[in-house]
Amino acid sequence: MFILKKSLSRRTFLRGTGTALALPLLDAMVPALTAQLRTAAAPVTRFGFMYVPHGVILDKWTPATEGSDFEFTPIMKPLEAFRSQLTVVGNLDLGPDQGGQHSAPSGMWLNNTPHKRTEAEDVRAGTTVDQMIARQIGQQTTFPSLELATEDLTSLVGACDSGFSCTYINTLCWSTPTTPLPMEINPRVVFERMFGDPGTKEQRLARISEDRSILDSIAGEEARLRQELGTRDRARITEYLENVREIERRIQGSEKQAQSSVDIPESPAGVPNSYEEHVGLMFDLMALAYQTDITRVITFMMARELSFRSYPQVGVPDPHHSISHHQNDVEKMERHARINTYHVTLFSRFLEKLRQTPDGDGSLLDHSLLVYGSGMANGNQHTHNPLPTLVVGGANGSLKGNRHLLPPKNTPMGNFLLAVLDRAGVRADAVGLSTGRLDL
Amino acid sequence: MRTAALVLIGLAVCVGTLGTAPYAAQQTQIPPVAGAAARSITPLEAKAAVDKYCVGCHNERTRTGNLALDGIDVTRVAASAEPLEKVLRKLGTGSMPPQGMPRPDTATHAGIIAFLTRELDAAAAAKPDPGRAILRRLNRTEYANAIRDLLDLNINVSTLLPVDNSSYGFDNIGDVLGVSPVLMERYLTAARRISAVAVGDAAEIPVIAETYRVRPDTAQDKHLDGLPLGTRGGLLVTHTFPLDAEYTFFIRLLTTTVSNIRGLEYPHDLVLLVDGEEVARATVGGKDDIEKSFENATTHMEAINARLTFRVAVKAGPRTVAAAFVQKTSAIPNATLQPYLQTTSDTVDYTGVPHVESLLLTGPFNPTGPGDTPSRRRVLVCRPTGPDDAKCATTVLSTLAQRAYRRPLTDGDVRTLVEFFDTGRRKGSFDAGIELGLRRILASPDFVFRVERDPAELAPGAVYRISDVELASRLSFFLWSSIPDAELLEVAARGRLKDGAELDRQIRRMLADPKARALVDNFAGQWLYLRNLRGHVPDQTEFPDFDNTLRSAMLREMELFFDSIIREDRSVLDLMTADYTFVNERLARHYDIPNVYGSHFRRVTLTQNERRGLLGKGAILAVTSYATRTSPVVRGKWILENVVGTPPPPPPPDVPALEENSPGKKPRSMRERLEEHRRNPVCAQCHRLMDPIGFALEPFDAVGASRNRESGSPIDGSGQLADGTRVSGPVSLREALVSDPNIFVTTMTEKMLTYALGRGLGATDMPTVRAIVRSAAGSDFRFSSIVGGIVTSMPFQMRMKSEDEGLSPKP
Repeated sequence: MFILKKSLSRRTFLRGTGTALALPLLDAMVPALTAQLRTAAAPVTRFGFMYVPHGVILDKWTPATEGSDFEFTPIMKPLEAFRSQLTVVGNLDLGPDQGGQHSAPSGMWLNNTPHKRTEAEDVRAGTTVDQMIARQIGQQTTFPSLELATEDLTSLVGACDSGFSCTYINTLCWSTPTTPLPMEINPRVVFERMFGDPGTKEQRLARISEDRSILDSIAGEEARLRQELGTRDRARITEYLENVREIERRIQGSEKQAQSSVDIPESPAGVPNSYEEHVGLMFDLMALAYQTDITRVITFMMARELSFRSYPQVGVPDPHHSISHHQNDVEKMERHARINTYHVTLFSRFLEKLRQTPDGDGSLLDHSLLVYGSGMANGNQHTHNPLPTLVVGGANGSLKGNRHLLPPKNTPMGNFLLAVLDRAGVRADAVGLSTGRLDL
Repeated sequence: MRTAALVLIGLAVCVGTLGTAPYAAQQTQIPPVAGAAARSITPLEAKAAVDKYCVGCHNERTRTGNLALDGIDVTRVAASAEPLEKVLRKLGTGSMPPQGMPRPDTATHAGIIAFLTRELDAAAAAKPDPGRAILRRLNRTEYANAIRDLLDLNINVSTLLPVDNSSYGFDNIGDVLGVSPVLMERYLTAARRISAVAVGDAAEIPVIAETYRVRPDTAQDKHLDGLPLGTRGGLLVTHTFPLDAEYTFFIRLLTTTVSNIRGLEYPHDLVLLVDGEEVARATVGGKDDIEKSFENATTHMEAINARLTFRVAVKAGPRTVAAAFVQKTSAIPNATLQPYLQTTSDTVDYTGVPHVESLLLTGPFNPTGPGDTPSRRRVLVCRPTGPDDAKCATTVLSTLAQRAYRRPLTDGDVRTLVEFFDTGRRKGSFDAGIELGLRRILASPDFVFRVERDPAELAPGAVYRISDVELASRLSFFLWSSIPDAELLEVAARGRLKDGAELDRQIRRMLADPKARALVDNFAGQWLYLRNLRGHVPDQTEFPDFDNTLRSAMLREMELFFDSIIREDRSVLDLMTADYTFVNERLARHYDIPNVYGSHFRRVTLTQNERRGLLGKGAILAVTSYATRTSPVVRGKWILENVVGTPPPPPPPDVPALEENSPGKKPRSMRERLEEHRRNPVCAQCHRLMDPIGFALEPFDAVGASRNRESGSPIDGSGQLADGTRVSGPVSLREALVSDPNIFVTTMTEKMLTYALGRGLGATDMPTVRAIVRSAAGSDFRFSSIVGGIVTSMPFQMRMKSEDEGLSPKP
C-alpha cells in the first residue's frame, strides 16, 4: 500500500540524523566511542538471550556424544569456530503442556513459569531472568536492559494462540509476573535511545534538563490524579508515575554521558527491507551497547512464534510456521533445518564481532554469557522437551566451553536459568518450575 | 457401548478447549426467527427439555464441552447466565443438539430460545452491569491521529512509540495497553520531536534521513494508481518537510543480484515531482550506460546513483513527492500471454525496464525559516506582541491543552503551562516558549490516558452515567480513533449529549467526516483480517502474476467497499450480499470483469453472483489461504468466527498431518485429503463444522480467482452446515449464511461492541448485543443504526464505580 497513501498515513519525518548506509557507519563510529571503554581493572559480564521460534530439527541439532570434543552437527556447524567457549545443554524441559502451543514457548522461556490462559488484563507469567539480572547489575548503566525483536506484529490479526493474549508471544521479558515489556524492532529507535538526538553538548544538556522539569511537573500531579481515579485506574497511574521516576534516574545517567564529549555516530535509517540486514544491524547495536556499557543485559527475539516469515535467501519460500509443521516429510524437515542453520549463522557473526572487540584484558566475548535457543523443541508437534539450548562466551572466566552437557532427562529449564542467575550474582532459590540447580 | 464411549471422549477433547476459553472468544446468537413459530414455554417445560435433550452429555460427570447443565436451575435463569448464554448460542445457530441426536420439535426449540432470551434479558435489565473499565492509554494509531487532529501534523508513529499488544482481535483493548519505562521514555522523546516540528524550531530539528521503499514485489512496467498520468512505475509518498530549506533526494533503482541496474538497454527518463511539479529529471540507460554497467556493475551503479541524486529547495509542510519514469509507449513490452507477470521475480534478469527501488530523503540543509506550515497555523492562533506576550501564550496553550486533554481546563492546568512557556521563552523566542509548553502537554497523563473520573459522592459499586465530556471522548475514539473535534467538545461541555436528538446528529456528522475512515482501517481491518494481506505472499511458482499491484488493488477494493456501507448508510447485510464492488483494470482482469481500463478505481455492478459481498472478495479469499493452495479449513474457520460468530476451538496438540500430494502418486483433491482427516473422530468434531463451509468456496483459488478444476479434478463445492442446511458453491453458502440475517448482524455487533468498549465481552453483555440487533432490525440494519445502538447502549454510556473505592488512598 506504500504507493496509495495519499493522506493520514504513516509517513515519516521525525528522524534523527543519518543516512541509509547503516552498517558500515556503525562500524566506522566505533573508534569515536572507545573513549568510553572500561579498563581492565573491572571487567563486567554482559548477558544476552537470543530466541528463535518453532524449535529445531533435533536430529540435526543435538550432538551425538556427550562431554567435550563432540562433533558439530549440521545446524551448529557455523559455531564450530567458537567451540572453546560454547556449551550445548540437552534434556531441558519447559514443563507440562498446559495449553498455548506457541504462547508457552515464548511466555515461559526465561521464567519457566506457567502462563495464565487469558486475553484480558490479568496476564500473568513470571519475572524473567533477564530482568532479575537487570535489577542486580543494570542500575549501574543507562539502561538496565534492552529488549529487541524483528517482527512488526501489528500487521498480523488473529495470529496468536486462541485463549491467550498476544502479549505472551510478543515479548520474552517480564519485569514482574504481571508486567510484560515491549520489544523494539526498529534499529534506528534503538540507536536513538542509546545515544539520544544529535546536537551540541549544551543542546543535549538543555534537553535533558527540560525533560526533567516535565517529569517533575507530571509527578507533582500525582495527588490530583489519585484523588480523581478509581482503585484499578489508580494502580495503572501509579505504574505510570513509577516509570516517571525510573526515567528520571535514567536521565541522570545520560546527563553524565552528555558531559563526556563523545562524538555521536550517525544512526541507521530505519527498518531495513532484508531480514539479514535487520538482524545484522540489531546485533551490531547490541555489540555497541555492550562495548559502550550502555547496558549489560539484552534479550533479542530473532523471530517470533507463529512467524510467517519466509526465507527465500536460503531456499525456503514457505512461511516458517508452516514449514515447522513438517509432518516428518524429509524435504520439509530439510527446509526447516536450513532456517535453523541460517539463524545460527547470523548468531555466529555476532559472536565473531564480540570476539573481535577488545574489552579490558580480553574480548567482549570473554566477558559475555549468551544463551541461544528456543522454547519449543519439535515445532511439528509443539513439544517442549528437549529444548535446543546453547551457552556461549567466557562469562569472565566462570564458564568452560567445549562441552555437551546432558543433565537427567526432563530437567526443568528453570534449573538451567538458576545456573545463569548464579553467574550474575543474583541469589534465587527457584525459577518457576525448577527443581534444583544445573551444574553448568 | 465401547465405541460410543470413545466417540464421546473424542468429543470432550475437542470441545473441551472451547469450554475453558474465555467467554468472549465464543459468541452468542440471536435465535432464528424465520420460519419457526415459537410455542410458549413455561420455566418447568424448559427445564424438562434441557434435562431431556442436553443433560445426557452436559452433566457433572462427563462435562462435555466443559459444560454441566444438571446442576443448573433453568427456572432461575439469573443465577446461571453464563452457561445458559452458551446454551442459547448453540440453540440459536442450530448447532445443538448435534445432527443425528434427538432434537425437540421446531416449535419447542423456538420456544426454549424465546424463553431463555426473555429471562436472560430481564435478569440483565434488573441488574445493569456496564462491565469492568480500566484506565486506557492511547494506542499508537490513536496517538498518531490525535497529533494529526491536534496539530495538523502527520507523524510516523512506528518510529516514535513501541508496538501495542492486542487481545480479543483488536489492538485497542484497555486491558493489555500497559505502561512501561520504555513507553514513558518514548512519550518524552515523541513530545520533544513533535513539538519542534509543529512550531518549526530549526535548532531542535536535526538533519533527518527518511527512506521510502517500493515493495520488492511491485511490477513497474505500467502506470501505477495515484501517480501522474504519462508515468510508469515509481513511487508516491507524502512527506512532511519540517522547515523551508534544501533537501537531498536520492533515488535508487532495482538491481540484479550481481548489481547490474535493471533495464539499461534503452534510455529512460526519470522525473522527480514535488506537489505535482517537476523539480528534477535525469536519463538512465542507453548504449553508454549498458556497456559501462557490463564493464563494472558496481562502479557504474555508483555513477548512476550520483546522477539520480538531487538537491532541491522545498517549502515547509506536507507535500507529495513522486519519482517515476516517463511512459514511452503503452504497448505491452513482453509476455503478452501473461501481461501481469510479476516483473521482479527474476532477480538476475537485467532486461526490461528500470524500476525505482527506493527514495532516500535527507534534510533540512541551510534552513531559511519555519515557513508557513499547516501545523504552525493550527498552533499559533494569535500573533504575539513580543516574546513575552503571556496573554497570547495562554490563548495558544489553553486552546491546545483543552483539545489534547479533551476537557475544560482547570486554573492549575493553565498555570503549569504558562510556567513552561516562561522557561522556554527565556531561551530566546515566543515560539520556544510555546514549544516547551506543548512538550508538557504531550507528555501529560491527561493526554496519553483516557481519564474518566469516578464521582466522589457515589457509593462503591454504583452504576452511573459518565459525563457528557467523557462520552464525547468515548464517541470520538470509537468512530475516529482520535480526540473529539472542537464542535463535539463544545456540545459536550454544554451538556447537550444527553439529548438523544443531538447525540444522533453528532453520530451522523461524525460518520460523514473523512476521519470515520478509521472504522475501515482499524475496525474492519482487524475484524476481517485485512491487515494480514500486506504480509501475505502467495507462492510465486503457483501464482506468478500475483504482485503488489494486485495486492494493493484488493485492499483498496475492500476499503472502498466498506467505506460505501458507512457513507451511504447501507444495511450491514450488504457486506454479505451487495451486487456492486470497486475495481480497476488489474483487479477487473483478476475477476474476469470486462471493459474496465486504467489504474483508477470505479464502482461496477457485479454480474457474477458468486462475487457478491465479502465472500467473493480477493482480499478475504487470499488471507484465508496458504501460500500454495486454498485452505477450506481456514476459510471455514474465518466464516465461523467472523460471520457466524461460533469460532471453533484450537486444534488439539499433535494433530495428524494432512497428506500433501507428491510426485509419482495420483494427486488427490483437497476434499479427498480432508475427508481422510475427518475419519479421525477427534478431528471430525470440529472439522465437520469448518470444512463444508470452506468447500463451498473452493471455486475460488488461493488468490481469489475463479477456477473450475483443482488437482486435476472438477471442483465439488457441496457440503452441509451444522444446522443441516445443504449448500453447493459460494452463492448457496452466502444465501444460507444470511437466511437468518440476525446471525451475521449479531456477530458484527459483537465485534464492533468489543472494539467500541475496548474490552472483551462477557455473558452480561449479551443482552446488550441482542437489544442493539433488535433495535437495528427496525431500521433495516443500517450501519448508523448499529453504531447508534452501541453508542446509546448501557455499557457505552455507563460506568461502575470501583468496588473498593472506600479504602483510603495509599500514602
